[in-house]
Amino acid sequence: MISAGLNAYIGLSAVLFAIGFLGVLLRRNALVIFMGLELMLVAATLALAAFSRFNGTMDGHVFVFFILTVAAAEVAVGLAIVVAVFRRRGTIQVDQLDSLKN
Amino acid sequence: MTPAHLAFLLLAVPLASAGFTACFLRRHGGAAAACSVGVANLILIGALWLGLSGVRFEIAKEWLNLGGLVVSFGFKFDDLAALMLVIVAVVGLCVHVFSLGYMAEDAAKARYFAGLSLFMFSMIGIVLADNLFMMFIFWELVGFCSWLLINHWYERPAASAAAKKAFITNRVGDFGFLLGILMCYRTRGTVNLTDLAVQTSSGFAIYSRALPLLLFCGAIGKSAQLPLQVWLPDAMEGPTPVSALIHAATMVAAGIYMLCRIQMLMVPQVLEVIAWVGTATALYSALCAITQRDIKKVLAYSTLSQLGYMVAAFGLGSVEHRTESGEVVLVAAGVGAAMFHLTTHAFFKALLFLGSGSVIHACHDEQDIFRMGGLGRRMKLTFATFTIAVAAIIGLPFFAGFFSKEAILALAFTQNRSIFAVLAFTAALTAFYMLRLWKLTFLGVARSPQAEHAHEGGFAIEAPLAVLAVLAVFGGMTSLYPRAIAGVLGWVVEPEGAARAAVLVTSLAVLVVGAALALIVYRSPAIRQAAAGPLCDPLQSRFPTLFGTLVALRDSFDTVYGYYIEKIQQRFAMLLNFFDLLGIGGLARALAGVVGLAGIEARAVQVGRLNVYIYWFLAGVAVLWAFAAGVF
Repeated sequence: MISAGLNAYIGLSAVLFAIGFLGVLLRRNALVIFMGLELMLVAATLALAAFSRFNGTMDGHVFVFFILTVAAAEVAVGLAIVVAVFRRRGTIQVDQLDSLKN
Repeated sequence: MTPAHLAFLLLAVPLASAGFTACFLRRHGGAAAACSVGVANLILIGALWLGLSGVRFEIAKEWLNLGGLVVSFGFKFDDLAALMLVIVAVVGLCVHVFSLGYMAEDAAKARYFAGLSLFMFSMIGIVLADNLFMMFIFWELVGFCSWLLINHWYERPAASAAAKKAFITNRVGDFGFLLGILMCYRTRGTVNLTDLAVQTSSGFAIYSRALPLLLFCGAIGKSAQLPLQVWLPDAMEGPTPVSALIHAATMVAAGIYMLCRIQMLMVPQVLEVIAWVGTATALYSALCAITQRDIKKVLAYSTLSQLGYMVAAFGLGSVEHRTESGEVVLVAAGVGAAMFHLTTHAFFKALLFLGSGSVIHACHDEQDIFRMGGLGRRMKLTFATFTIAVAAIIGLPFFAGFFSKEAILALAFTQNRSIFAVLAFTAALTAFYMLRLWKLTFLGVARSPQAEHAHEGGFAIEAPLAVLAVLAVFGGMTSLYPRAIAGVLGWVVEPEGAARAAVLVTSLAVLVVGAALALIVYRSPAIRQAAAGPLCDPLQSRFPTLFGTLVALRDSFDTVYGYYIEKIQQRFAMLLNFFDLLGIGGLARALAGVVGLAGIEARAVQVGRLNVYIYWFLAGVAVLWAFAAGVF
């Protein structure tokens, strides 16, 4: 079995984070933006797990549990908001949700 | 209950009535009227109990302690206060009852009666105050009540303007009064009336003269003396009972009362100024009264004239009097004569005003005496009581005014002959204009449909007239007064021997001359003849030059003040306004501009697009990171 080094994990984590971040910046659909946010969380989780594995401590694993729990709650609330906005406005394109502006 | 508690209740009850009416009875005119009249009854009972029991007390509690300035709240109930309190209570009740009839149809009855109660509170406050600060507070309160009640029919522009004029003119006098109080505190260290009396005057002569003069400014404003007399005739725009209570019997007399309170501060030079101001006012106003056509304006000018009498009497000061045991004592005869005339005047002038109110009520708001006439046959009681009041004011022997006016003339005769001459001449004018008014209103034939259909206004209007008529007949006989309230009247010095005869002959002679002239000029054929022409007034058609001069004299003050305000004060105010805009306003506007500009910039950030906010978020994170990494 080929054992991957720490840099490979960090690199994957960085790529995942960049994809998520660019998704949040560039996409207009609130659902996709939301997915981008989740991707960033997963990237951070992956980095933490990798550090924990290579340092031989449990700190990173503990963080992973917290992040997973919070992310689950956040998804529940966030998706509910997206559904509520869609019902009310008929769209979840963020560039059309500009009633604060007008 | 101690007398001090009762005095406190006399203040608290009318205030509570006014407050209760203002809070709960705004829409219930009848209940408000009942409440107010009930309170006026209580005040009369309390005042009589306090006055006739003969108690005298002084009580004070510290109220405000601001650094070195200590203001106390207290009562000083002496002979002077006892007399004044009873006058205020008696006239107050009469006017309250009269208002029940006069204001029965008024839409804003609740506001009116709340105003009356508030006035009673303020006036009793002035009467009982034991120090100048407290007096000043109530002094301003009566000014406010006066404004409120003149302004009762605020939808009339004239009433609104008159109320403002009264208030602002009083401010001018009150400014002097306040300066005087501050100077008194500064130079004497106290404003308590009793402390001031026991203190011997010290310090510079300039203070001892400026102090009473400044305090006198307050009386000039409130008692409408020259040159601040302009507000009182205009104040007649208010309801007639208000004119009777506030602008004839009590509030305007508060100036005289205040002078009597601070009599110990007076020095001879100041007294002379005061006497001449009063004399000039008496003469000037009597001349103005002759040309008036409005029944209330005639009475207003006559009030001014009588107030001038009182001020003059006060200014004539103390005389040395030899008692029966042969000692020579200094008697405050000026105070005695002024308060005596104040008392009788309160009765007969309130009666005159209420009588005129009855006439106006009967003629459906007609106030022009040349559109009245013949009312004597239709309004028997009003006619009888008004006649008594006229007899009292012109000084017909054995009526109230005769005694008090004679007391003033006698004092003037011994102290200052030129003042005596002017006052005697004024008495002739008084007889002239009062008989003119009386004749035109009540005798002859009716000169308008309203006057033809006039009739008495019912019990509430007639009863106060009857009560005041009794007082106007007997008010001059000091021996009839209960001893407990007549202490001040004891200071009236009876003239003796030749002086007595001279004064008596003079006052009777001027009375006869004035009355006869009035009856000749305004004899019925002359009135009829003049009524046919364009000029209603026989005096005007007979002596146009004299009449024109008198009218010009009356208008002179208003003209001068109007010119001053328009051409000088207004322009100065515009100049100040310009600097204000440039300096203070400029600075404020510049600051506001900077803030506004920042706001415009900051607003540009808020575009309302989620993506843009994320970029800002990113930028914020970058800045935070840079800060954490020590880039700055």
